[in-house]
Amino acid sequence: MDTFLQAITNGLMVGGIYALIGMSLTIIFGVMKIINFCQGELLMVGMYVSFVLYDQFGLDPFLAIPLVAIIMFAIGALLQSTIINRAMKNTESDDTNVLFLTVGLGILFTNLCLMFFKSDYRTAVSAVSQKNVELGNITVSMPKLISFLILIIMSVLLFLFLKHTTLGKQIRATSQNKTGAQVSGIKTKMVYASTYGLGAALAGITGACLMSYYYVFPTVGAVYGTRSFIVVTLGGLGSIPGAFIGGLVLGLLETIGSVVVGASFKDTVVFLVFILILVTKQLVKSKRG
Amino acid sequence: MKRKFGSRQILLLLLIVIVALLPLYVQSTYTITICIMTFYMASASLAWSVLGGLTGQISLGHAAFMGLGAYISTLLLVNFNVSPWISILIVFVVVGAITALLLSPCFGLRGPYFTLVTIAFGETFRNLFTNWEYAGKGKGILLPYGEDDFGLMRFSDKQSYFYLGLGMVVLIYIIVKMIDKSKLGYGLKTVREDEDTANAIGINPWKYKVIATFISCGLMAVCGVFYANYYRFIDPEIMIQTQSVEYLMPAVIGGIGSVTGPLLGAVIITPLSQFLNATLSSIAAGSNLVIYAVILIVVILFQPRGIMGWFNGSKLKAKIDKVFDSIDGKLFSKK
Repeated sequence: MDTFLQAITNGLMVGGIYALIGMSLTIIFGVMKIINFCQGELLMVGMYVSFVLYDQFGLDPFLAIPLVAIIMFAIGALLQSTIINRAMKNTESDDTNVLFLTVGLGILFTNLCLMFFKSDYRTAVSAVSQKNVELGNITVSMPKLISFLILIIMSVLLFLFLKHTTLGKQIRATSQNKTGAQVSGIKTKMVYASTYGLGAALAGITGACLMSYYYVFPTVGAVYGTRSFIVVTLGGLGSIPGAFIGGLVLGLLETIGSVVVGASFKDTVVFLVFILILVTKQLVKSKRG
Repeated sequence: MKRKFGSRQILLLLLIVIVALLPLYVQSTYTITICIMTFYMASASLAWSVLGGLTGQISLGHAAFMGLGAYISTLLLVNFNVSPWISILIVFVVVGAITALLLSPCFGLRGPYFTLVTIAFGETFRNLFTNWEYAGKGKGILLPYGEDDFGLMRFSDKQSYFYLGLGMVVLIYIIVKMIDKSKLGYGLKTVREDEDTANAIGINPWKYKVIATFISCGLMAVCGVFYANYYRFIDPEIMIQTQSVEYLMPAVIGGIGSVTGPLLGAVIITPLSQFLNATLSSIAAGSNLVIYAVILIVVILFQPRGIMGWFNGSKLKAKIDKVFDSIDGKLFSKK
């Protein structure tokens, strides 16, 4: 029973990270209707930013979060307004080009980091890195617990931001109807840039959280990139509460799956469930007409 | 109406002959190695383009289907002593059938959703092969070394692999070209342009996608047989998703949707990436791939239809067409 409870706790902790990266992907999709294939790489860049802040200024990964978020927001907004916007204009009906573009950006980020940081594993130690919390027979590592709390805080903040601020309202309006938003005088270009920036910032925050107990290397993003796709498919593309729940479900699925079928086959379980959900959703949709 | 055989085909034949004679006057093993890799990349990209280019279903799982071919032929060779020449046919049918069967429920998924499913299948296969005892787990399989044996596709010199690779790329090019010009090809392109219209005029998109998957993944598996027998070592890492990106690069650069595109793209991008790898990666690891990625991004931004897309719409093509037609007219005017 304890193993099971421990697995559930671990699952929730991992799921928190998945939920956060999933939310960052889903917000970009919701507004621009593109699947950003370099989301994992943005997370990786966020991890490196957090690493540099630790390495150069001795900043604790958790305390560095606001700074990482601002830097990543700037990078994201710049990317959207210069490069991605251009590709989105090029495509007439299909979004293949944006797909390739984001894949290309992913390769670019990975190798830029490889160039500057080599392929070594790098760590940043937080003040709480070595601490554990005991709850009865269950042990939770402190940085994971804090990351989970950050997820909850970020979700609430994101909700309040989208619901009550002008920019948040503009983002929602654009996601519902782009033409309508333009007619009402919303500068959709600006909204796109800030949405992509927001997505990048959330990915960066995820990276900074991850940095407190994990290590960074140039290809670390690939795993989280694929996981983020699964999360948003589980929760419904474009839905933020969906990504929140989807992330936690995926985390649980992974840890419980590794208890049941063994750790080495957990990826197979995760991917098979993913395929099943995609196909079922599709079948349900076509049945409804 | 265009002739089945004209000056264009003669030029193509000439080109093949010139390339085939290359090992006679180029002694450098390095050049030959680059040629072999170019043949391989061109073949893989052509195979990918049947599904990705002609049918418009972007797959990022093709590295895994290539890996399936490599694994099946290698396991057959190591355990049952089946000649790779026979394996070529076996893997084409088996991998084609497996992928068509697995992906057939997924063809309702459009655009990026289909891409996500191919990633999921690719990673599942990689995970399974990493943990499969019989297939050597993560350690991979070494193909048996020994004396040169044509029947076992085992050669000690690069020249033999050069001709093997050339044969493969010519064969796959002809197959894809024939599909492109056939009723099947037009059906596939209709599905790519507009599925609903295709359905309305009696083209079943699902059926066409199944056929395209069978051919595309089957040919990809054939490339896998070549890969395994050339490198003589395979491990699950050949199935990784980033490798799939490598296979679609030539098609994107050369022009998605055209048959010459992937070929042209591979001829340009593979030697270039090898050159960058040789010169830059010793200075700073990754810098060669940074340039590679920048090229990809620039092409997508400024020439989304690739080199062939630009060429097909340019005045240059009209002029070249005119020259070819006049030659054809002179050569074949008397019947």
